[in-house]
Amino acid sequence: MTLTQHVRNGWYLGAWSDEIGRTLKQRWITDLPVCFYRLPDQTVTAVEDRCPHRKYPLSLGHLDDDGTLQCDYHGYRFDGQGVCVGVAEQADKPKAALRRFPLVERDGAVWIWPGDPELADEGLLPDTSWLNDPNWTHVHGVVPLKARHLLLLENLLDLTHETFLHPTSIGNAAVAATPIDVTVDGDRVGFSRRMTGIEAPPFYEKSCGLTSPVDRWQDGDFYPPGIFVLNIRVAATGTEEPDGFHMKVLYGMTPGRGNETHDFYALGRDYLIDDQELTRFQHEQQLAVMQEDVDALEAQEIMYATDPGGTAESSIKSDLAALRGRRAVAKMLTREQQAGTARPRASA
Amino acid sequence: MTSPPTAAPDTHTLGSAEAGTPSAARRGTEFEGTATVVARQTVADGVVSLELAASCGEPLPPWRPGAHIDVVLPTGVIRQYSLCGPVKDTARWRVAVLREPDGRGGSQWIHDHLVEGGELRVRGPRNNFPLRPAARYLFVGGGIGITPLLPMIAEAEAAGAEWSLLYGGRTRASMAFLPELEGYGERVTVRPQDQYGLLDLTGHLGDPDRSALVYCCGPAGLIDAVEAHCAGWPTGALNVERFAAADVRQPAGDEAEQPIEVELRASGTTLTVPPGLSVLKAVEQAGVPVLSSCEEGICGSCETSVLEGEVDHRDSLLTDDERAANDTMLICVSRARGRRLVLDL
Ligand code: FES
Ligand code: FES
Ligand SMILES: [Fe+2]
Repeated sequence: MTLTQHVRNGWYLGAWSDEIGRTLKQRWITDLPVCFYRLPDQTVTAVEDRCPHRKYPLSLGHLDDDGTLQCDYHGYRFDGQGVCVGVAEQADKPKAALRRFPLVERDGAVWIWPGDPELADEGLLPDTSWLNDPNWTHVHGVVPLKARHLLLLENLLDLTHETFLHPTSIGNAAVAATPIDVTVDGDRVGFSRRMTGIEAPPFYEKSCGLTSPVDRWQDGDFYPPGIFVLNIRVAATGTEEPDGFHMKVLYGMTPGRGNETHDFYALGRDYLIDDQELTRFQHEQQLAVMQEDVDALEAQEIMYATDPGGTAESSIKSDLAALRGRRAVAKMLTREQQAGTARPRASA
Repeated sequence: MTSPPTAAPDTHTLGSAEAGTPSAARRGTEFEGTATVVARQTVADGVVSLELAASCGEPLPPWRPGAHIDVVLPTGVIRQYSLCGPVKDTARWRVAVLREPDGRGGSQWIHDHLVEGGELRVRGPRNNFPLRPAARYLFVGGGIGITPLLPMIAEAEAAGAEWSLLYGGRTRASMAFLPELEGYGERVTVRPQDQYGLLDLTGHLGDPDRSALVYCCGPAGLIDAVEAHCAGWPTGALNVERFAAADVRQPAGDEAEQPIEVELRASGTTLTVPPGLSVLKAVEQAGVPVLSSCEEGICGSCETSVLEGEVDHRDSLLTDDERAANDTMLICVSRARGRRLVLDL
């Protein structure tokens, strides 16, 4: 079973802060068109990108210096709260307001809650302080993915695939050969894999200047429905954690429109933070690895999409974290459906 | 290219045929009766090999590598022993018995009382550990676990497949069938623990190889280690047989030994599920459609709501909370703590 509907009562990475400015930016999130922009006081706003008049995308309109958003079809104008303040055609204000989404902007990331605003709880967000910590450096971006977000989720929760899909960069036999421990904490699914005395995969050899054997740890945490954080430690075999090289990867798996997903990533490290050359290398590698995943997931998506009868899947032990992740998302969706569809409402 | 051995389909390889149709097919190819010990030989410290022939003089049913027979001892104890002689020999079956001082007395009785010319009740053969065709085999045997591997090796060799065996034991003297294995030359690596320490599984198994199947039999610790090593190998690549003594999935107490009653409320039927048959199989046999895939408690496809009764969870998927809630179970592996379950099927 692969879900094609999207959980809305949850935080998703909506945008990186540096993507949002005084121009209007459209991004579909959980099948909802969203228009992002910044008000004059620099706060980020996200409204449903459908004009209440005749549904024209507001992102095709424009933003005045005072933060008024104007629809460029018939001229409806909305204030910073999304309330219609007038229209060019007539003197009295039409009754209209835009649906605004709960947002949290923190450490350079803009998190959006596309569901019931009353349920939006900042406490559910992971710690992202490393994105903003002077002792760390990171690169980030977003990659388009034509595959449902659950496939990306399963990809990240089953890193065994590194052995087969990324053999020239981050994978080698040690990954697949080391079993994982899976933990579940409420909705959260975590896994950890400790590889000791293994051969260093090429990426880590270059990134850390280490030669084999190394110890490599992967601790992944999935914050359903769409956030994944991977803690990586690599150290010369025999040294303890504080001596290791520490990296973190954050993935925002944000469902877009239909079976498309925004694959947000941030890759950080806490060593050699001024080494631009290393940063460039790591970023290049990250994108190359992601491309391998994207290619695989897009090929997989076609197979799932054209297999509506849902022929049985086969599963193995290393699928456990991914299957738990899948269950967590399925449960959220059921809860949401049982609670009734969250009414789109203006939170003005 | 080597041609893989053909594991001819036959009625006594384990599979859905056995679980689904328990009676006729199996009886036709099973022997159940008295066997005479026609040869007895000490083949290593604490290990005797026995050659058994049907006391009535009839030929014995055919079998495939990996098969075992049940030996019913006069003490009432039933023990399983892998057949380890030539597959072609329908006159005699060979088994090897390790004296297990801590066992329930079955092996002791054989060692102490069973002489050439003596008789035993046997039944079988059955095969829970069939050899599947492959271009390459990696065999790992620990101690008496070498027995099912012997006919497998013979078959792999005859088929011209590539194979190698890593064989461990406590000491060289405790390891049976070494002279037989020596004939295979370098394909066999003998590693007694007192000389070499733990088996070098990494060296022997190497990286996942799609063309290779791994067959392992031996003590639980060895099998666990091989399982850990092969965690990332393709599904089905690893095949193991644990000694009956090292029951892995035995729940607390002996409830597993009991048949359980399962009421399918929506269908209005009640089934008796004997030990050894999964609830899933019983439900399927009763003609009630239910989804399943892995049949190992991993995938979750067979998840079923539990209306009454306490579940003995044996899957890998459910979380502790989900288990404690006792409202759902994976019926391919899980059973009941009590004698009765009511399912929403
Ligand atoms: S559609 Fe926006 S003003 Fe008409
Ligand atoms: S069939 Fe896969 S868990 Fe039961
Ligand atoms: Fe990947």
